Amino acid sequence: MNLIISPVILYLLSAFLIALIWKENEKLAGFASLSFSILSMISVILLGRFVFLNERIIYFVGGWEVPIGITLMVDSLSYIFLFTLNSMLPLICWFSITYMKKYTNPGLFYIVFSLISAGMNGILISMDFFNIYVFLEIASIASYILVAFGLRTEEIEASLKYTILGFIGSTLIIIGIGLILGKTGTLNIADFTYIAENLRKHQLWFILGLFIAGFSLKTALFPFHFWLPDAHSLAPSPVSALLSGLFIKVTGLYPLFRIITNIFVMFPESKIILIGLGLASMIFGSFMAIDQIDIKRMYAYSSISQIGYCALSLGIGGYWGYLGAILHFIFHSLSKSLLFLNIGAIEYKYNTTKIEELKGLEDKLPYVVTTGSIGMLSISGIPPFGCFWSKIVIIISAIKKHYYGIAFICVIISTITLGYFLRLKRNIFYSKDDESKTVEISYNLLMPMVILSIFILLSGLVFTPNIKIYLDKAVYIMENFTYAKIMEK
Amino acid sequence: MIIYMCIAIMFFVGLYGMMVKKNIIKMIIGVNIIGYAVNLFFIVLGYRKNGIAPIMVPGMEIKDFVQKAVNPLPQALVLTSIVIDLSIICFLASLSIRIYEKYGSFDFEKIRRLKG
Repeated sequence: MNLIISPVILYLLSAFLIALIWKENEKLAGFASLSFSILSMISVILLGRFVFLNERIIYFVGGWEVPIGITLMVDSLSYIFLFTLNSMLPLICWFSITYMKKYTNPGLFYIVFSLISAGMNGILISMDFFNIYVFLEIASIASYILVAFGLRTEEIEASLKYTILGFIGSTLIIIGIGLILGKTGTLNIADFTYIAENLRKHQLWFILGLFIAGFSLKTALFPFHFWLPDAHSLAPSPVSALLSGLFIKVTGLYPLFRIITNIFVMFPESKIILIGLGLASMIFGSFMAIDQIDIKRMYAYSSISQIGYCALSLGIGGYWGYLGAILHFIFHSLSKSLLFLNIGAIEYKYNTTKIEELKGLEDKLPYVVTTGSIGMLSISGIPPFGCFWSKIVIIISAIKKHYYGIAFICVIISTITLGYFLRLKRNIFYSKDDESKTVEISYNLLMPMVILSIFILLSGLVFTPNIKIYLDKAVYIMENFTYAKIMEK
Repeated sequence: MIIYMCIAIMFFVGLYGMMVKKNIIKMIIGVNIIGYAVNLFFIVLGYRKNGIAPIMVPGMEIKDFVQKAVNPLPQALVLTSIVIDLSIICFLASLSIRIYEKYGSFDFEKIRRLKG
C-alpha cells in the first residue's frame, strides 16, 4: 500500500521545493507549505479505510521482506496518532502564515516546519528501531532550530539547553538500539520481539531502562523536564503549539506506548515506573504553573502536568487505562494547541505575554477570548469539553484497579489546573481596562482557533461515541498485540 | 572487554564535559566525544578478529565468507549516525557564534538568564 509513505514523501518534497522558492516569493512559500500539508492530510484520510479494513498495513521498502529490509507499518493505534497529527498540521501552518510575518525570514520557517512534520510522520509509520531513531533526529534537530528561530538571546539559550538535553536523550536511545543489535542481530521491531520472547529477562531490562529514560526525556516527564518550560515558552507561538501539542507526544509518548504494550511485554513491572513518573510530573507541573508571571511559561508547565496524565493512564493499563491515554492524547493536543495559538494571536497584537501587561481583553478581542476560554475550560476538565471525558476515563481506570489514592490525586490536580486557569482568565480576559475598543484581528489567525474550538466543543458529545469503535480497535492492539505476531504468520 | 570499558570511559568523559564545564565550546566538545563513543560502540559490535571486508569476490566460498566477514550493518548505521552528530554540532557551533556576538563571552554562567 503506497499511501502509507505519502505523508513523509509529501513533507520532504515540500521542504525541498520551498527551499528553492522562498527567497523569491515568501507568500508562495507559505501557500505551498499549507497546500502540501492539506494534501498529506487527505492522503492520511484515504489511508484510514484500508487500515480499519485490514487491521494493519505493512509496506516493505524496496521489496525486502521482514528481517532484511526496512519495514513500515500502520495499524489502528498509529493511525489515530497519524490522523491527529496530520489534521492539526494544516491548522498550525495556516496560523503561521500571518504570525510569522513578525520575523525577518518567514520563508525559512516553512522549510523547517516541513522537515519536522516529515520526521514526526516517519516515527509513526516505521517498524524499525534505527529508522525510528533517524526520523526522531530529523524531527528533533528541526525542533531545536525552530526554538531558536527568533534569535533573541533568551531563545538561543533555551535552544542550547534543549539541544544538549535532547542529544542526551537521543544518545540513550541509540545505545539501547546498539545493545539490541548486539544481542539479537536485528533492528526490525517484529523480528526483535519474536527473538526476545525466548531471551531471559535480565538480558533485556537494561535496554528497557535506556528506552524509558530516553523517551521520557523527549516527553519531558518529571525528572527530565528542565528543558521544556524554556523551550516551549520562548519558541514562536505556532511552534509552541506544534511542540507542546504534538511533538512531545509523537516523539516521546507514542514510542513509550509501543515499548510498554507491544514490544517489552515481558516486563509488566515497567508500568509501575510510568505511574510514578506520571504522578510526579502531574503534581510538579501543576504546582509550578500556579505562580508563573509569563502566560506561555504557565502553559508549558501545564503541558508537563497533562503529559503526566497520559503516562499515568498508560501505566495503570487495562481497557480503561489505555482508552484514557489515547483520549487524553487527542484532546490535550487539540486544547493545548488552541491555547498556544490563542496566546500567539494576543502576542501578535500586543507584543507581550506577561500577565500584568495584558488587561481587559474581553472587549478588545472577543473571539480570541471565547476560543481561549474554551481551551482553558477543556484542559481543566469542565464538561462537556474534550479533556473532561478523557480525565473521567482516567479516573474510572484508577478506580477499577483499586488505586483510590491515584484517582483522588487526579481530581485534586484537575482542580488546581482549573484554579490557575481561572486566575489567568480573571487577570487578562475579564479585568477592567480604560481602553475598550474592539481590535481588528486577521482572518488567518482566527480561523484555525475557531476550527479547533469547534472540535473541542463537539468532541465529547458528538465525536467520542462515534469514533469509539476505532478507539476500541486501538485499545485492543495495546492490550493484545505484540509485534511477534507479525512474524508468526 | 577492554574496548567496551574504553567506550564507557569516553562516554562519561563526554558527559562530564557537557554537564560540568561552563564554557560552551567545551560543552560542544563533550557532545562530540559522546557521539564518537556511540559510533565506536557500533563499530565494535560488528568487529571480528582477523575479519575481512564483507565483499564477495569471485572464487570465494560462501562458507569461508560467512565465517570471516565482519557485519556490515553497524558500519552502515554509523555513517548515518555520524551525519546526525555532524548536524547537531554544526547547529550548536552556530548558536555559540551568535552567543559570542551578543555577549562577547563563551561562559554559560555569565549569559544565563533563564531559570530552567
